[in-house]
Amino acid sequence: MALSRATHRTIVGWTFALPFAVLFVVFMAGPVIASLGMSFTDIRGTDLRTPLNVGVIGLENYARLFSDTRFLRAAWNTVLFVVLGVPLTIVLALAVALGIDRGVTKFRTVFRVGYYLPVVTSIVAVAVVWRFLLHPDSGMVNGLLGLAGIDGPNWLTDPDLALPSLIVMAAWRGMGTLMVIFLAGLQSIPRTLYEAAAIDGAGPWQRLRDITLPMLRPALLFAAVITGIGYLQVFEEPFVMTQGTPLDRTLTVSYYIYNQFGFGNYGYAAAMSYVLFTVIVGLTVVQFRLLRPKT
Amino acid sequence: MRCRIPFVVLMTSLLAVAACGRETQTGAAPQQPSSVGEGKATGEITVWAMGGEGENLGRLAAGFERENPGATVKVTPVPWDGAHNKLASSIAAGQTPDVSLIGTTWMGEFAKTGALQPTPSSFDRAAFFPGLWATTEVGGTSYGVPWYADTRSLYYRKDLAEKAGVRPPATWDELKSFAQALKDKGGAAQGINLQAGGTGAWQTFMPFGWQAGAELVDGEGKFTLDTPRMRTALEYYTSFHRSGLSSSDRLVPGAQVADFVSGKIGAFVSGAYDRSVILKQGGPEFASKYGVVELPKGERAASFAGGGDLVVFKNARNADGAWKFIRYLSRPDVQAEWFTIQADPPAVQSAWQDPALAKDDFLQVFGRQLKVAKAPPAIPTWEQVAAVIDGGIEQAARGTASVSDVLRTMQASAASIGTGN
Amino acid sequence: MTAKGRWWVYVVLTAGLLAVISPFVWMLLSSVKPAGEILGTPPTWLPGHVTGEHYRSLFERLDLATYLTNSVAVAVAVTVGNMVFCSMLGYVLAKLSFRGRRLLFGLVMGMLMVPGMVTFVPLFILVSNVGLANTYSGLILPYLVQPVGVFLMRQFIGELPDELIDAARVDGAGEARIFARIVLPLCGPALATLGIITFLASWNNFLWPLVVAQTEDMYTMPVALALYSVGQNSIDYGLLLAGAVVVVVPVLLLFTFLQRHFTQGIATTGFR
Repeated sequence: MALSRATHRTIVGWTFALPFAVLFVVFMAGPVIASLGMSFTDIRGTDLRTPLNVGVIGLENYARLFSDTRFLRAAWNTVLFVVLGVPLTIVLALAVALGIDRGVTKFRTVFRVGYYLPVVTSIVAVAVVWRFLLHPDSGMVNGLLGLAGIDGPNWLTDPDLALPSLIVMAAWRGMGTLMVIFLAGLQSIPRTLYEAAAIDGAGPWQRLRDITLPMLRPALLFAAVITGIGYLQVFEEPFVMTQGTPLDRTLTVSYYIYNQFGFGNYGYAAAMSYVLFTVIVGLTVVQFRLLRPKT
Repeated sequence: MRCRIPFVVLMTSLLAVAACGRETQTGAAPQQPSSVGEGKATGEITVWAMGGEGENLGRLAAGFERENPGATVKVTPVPWDGAHNKLASSIAAGQTPDVSLIGTTWMGEFAKTGALQPTPSSFDRAAFFPGLWATTEVGGTSYGVPWYADTRSLYYRKDLAEKAGVRPPATWDELKSFAQALKDKGGAAQGINLQAGGTGAWQTFMPFGWQAGAELVDGEGKFTLDTPRMRTALEYYTSFHRSGLSSSDRLVPGAQVADFVSGKIGAFVSGAYDRSVILKQGGPEFASKYGVVELPKGERAASFAGGGDLVVFKNARNADGAWKFIRYLSRPDVQAEWFTIQADPPAVQSAWQDPALAKDDFLQVFGRQLKVAKAPPAIPTWEQVAAVIDGGIEQAARGTASVSDVLRTMQASAASIGTGN
Repeated sequence: MTAKGRWWVYVVLTAGLLAVISPFVWMLLSSVKPAGEILGTPPTWLPGHVTGEHYRSLFERLDLATYLTNSVAVAVAVTVGNMVFCSMLGYVLAKLSFRGRRLLFGLVMGMLMVPGMVTFVPLFILVSNVGLANTYSGLILPYLVQPVGVFLMRQFIGELPDELIDAARVDGAGEARIFARIVLPLCGPALATLGIITFLASWNNFLWPLVVAQTEDMYTMPVALALYSVGQNSIDYGLLLAGAVVVVVPVLLLFTFLQRHFTQGIATTGFR
């Protein structure tokens, strides 16, 4: 053998990575470099045919962001979305996955398919139905509140309630995907661990805390990272439900970026995207730290 | 290892852009108009048209192909949803067809990219409604030809108005008492629905702004959003929301017509396209229950002018055929034929004398309205300024800021966005 | 582990189920309502009058065979590509120590985090310049190995017992053999998850196919549905909902087929 084992492993590793590496070099690297470059220029939609004839303005786009009150409002809304939405979605999805996997023996297929339906339902239908559920006069939510003698608000136009309403809707939509991931994760926990715990007299909560959650850590990390990224980039819910109204209370960073691209402010929108990227990296690093396997 | 990647990326991109700087354009000399040859069109002409226009344009093109046996028209229908994105990306990549339909408010932006050919001088601008032709003119040069028109008039519930004993309004004061009567005596929850913010609210507001004598830009192209006349208009417009005659909540697309049909909304401002939507939802018997009149006059009559323009791209393979096809589509008889196919109001004035349109009383209201309709300035930053106005209307309608504060902020934001020239 | 499950779990899950499926049910019911009823206020569940007009319009006006073929071809290619390539990379990232592993994982995570909007136009310029506009390759290649899939497979393969793989290595098995014969067979739940996530994302993708397709015969279902149901100033909700129902059927079939695999994992083989 002429090759050392380390070199051999490196060759094998990169061979397995080849498809990704090739596509990365061909399709991903260029656009990332180009768009990052854009963020240091004053490029606008009107420069699209002559992208090299633009002014280099250094960090000006980035500096401008922090005095843009609409961006700051969008950033705050997005933070709320993540802080409230990520735990809510994960807890709901985990509860459903545990319920289906451990709590029931019949109708599992019905439950699995049923809880996945929001993921596949057209966003337009979802939007119509949610507006209808949240309708101030004839909505089901306010109907139920009415039974309890509470006069329900107009959820989507009340400046304080619009964003929470969208968060609940996003959790409802995102739950199915995470449920599937947790179901898959639950399968890799050996049954023998539970049997041993049962012999030791551990109750259901103890088993959840001591076995299920620790063993589910890789799936939880994946779920937390994916949901965090998804909610930091949340776009569809405000886009179809409120378009940022009322008074920018549901304006999110991604929606604002979308608007800025639409207005042709390519440089500014690119700068905003890379600020968002930096925040996503930060959040992901924190999540990796928090959910690192304990050895 | 991981830290080095962003650094490398950063350096490469900086090097890439450091080599170039923005060249100031040498003079603002108007572009020379394109020329169209004599004789018949030949070769393949590729056309993008959005939505229903794209679905049905092929039927009009058949007539063109009969007259020009050497030419074939290949229409690709493009969804309205995402059309702006597709056009922008295609211009950037040079993947454009010969001809495309373009929403009138996008003209400033796309013309400014330099991707569009100037309109040949053989097109007679006087044949079109002036407000529509204005949408094609960017910096003094026309970059396209109006294809179909959109303007806004007042839809109202005839039956509710009769019940309330009021006649359709002709002045601002009458509109106010009309809405009040539709609400109090006609039983409509909203006497009139005036969009109070959200995308496109400016299209409902600006007719009132223009009626008050306000303008969006002055003769030098500077924004004039904070003027006494604009203030009069915004105060009048939002008085409907503050007095509960119109809801200040955003309606979902389609809900306005649904609520109009069910009697919750007594009147609203919209384009001719809502006729088919109303009849589809209300059924044929609903035809006698509603009417449409020109918008009431303030100091002057005015409305919004929009619709669709046809443009030819600079890198068109068949520019000659493209302009000939557009010339065909601008012929009064073809414009009238298009109305019978797609119900798009013609952009060419003389087409309105065609029997199919002349006997249509409903449509003639919009025909009269078009004569006084005005277009927003065709500048690249228009959509962004429009969003500022939408946001200002929402604040004023909800009463979270005073009209004077709203206008001052609107003017400052618009000034800082600039006209993109 | 109780053998039959607990009654209260059934009650809670069923209550949740009703809340969760209601929009889907409404979508089904409303796709057979006349236009006026769909957006009527107050909204209704049951159609007052059942009509098949939206479905008829869908099947008559749209060249469904073409759009469905395109959608299926793209989604299947993207899904298969991701299942193969993401698990390959996921395997070496999780179980093989080699030079550049951290760099590769960093790139994968980086790509996962770059907002798609910012690279959209540059990517299209690139794809168009290499002549892939209006081709299946242009629709498929940029999505063939997605970072989210690599990350998912790395997370799951990382959970497989090291002893298993080390034992095979000691026996002299090559990495390709270990991957194909030992790792992949144990990845059922993860592969099923990856398959459904990738398929659904590709199936619903709108903006990229819209921009890449230059002629109508390259349109996918979402592009065609948007074309026929959304106007400049109005939306045909009937057609939109009927289309949404037709589009969801293949995804649901795939999910129902795959979901059995979510619960067939290594747990049954009793490792560790």
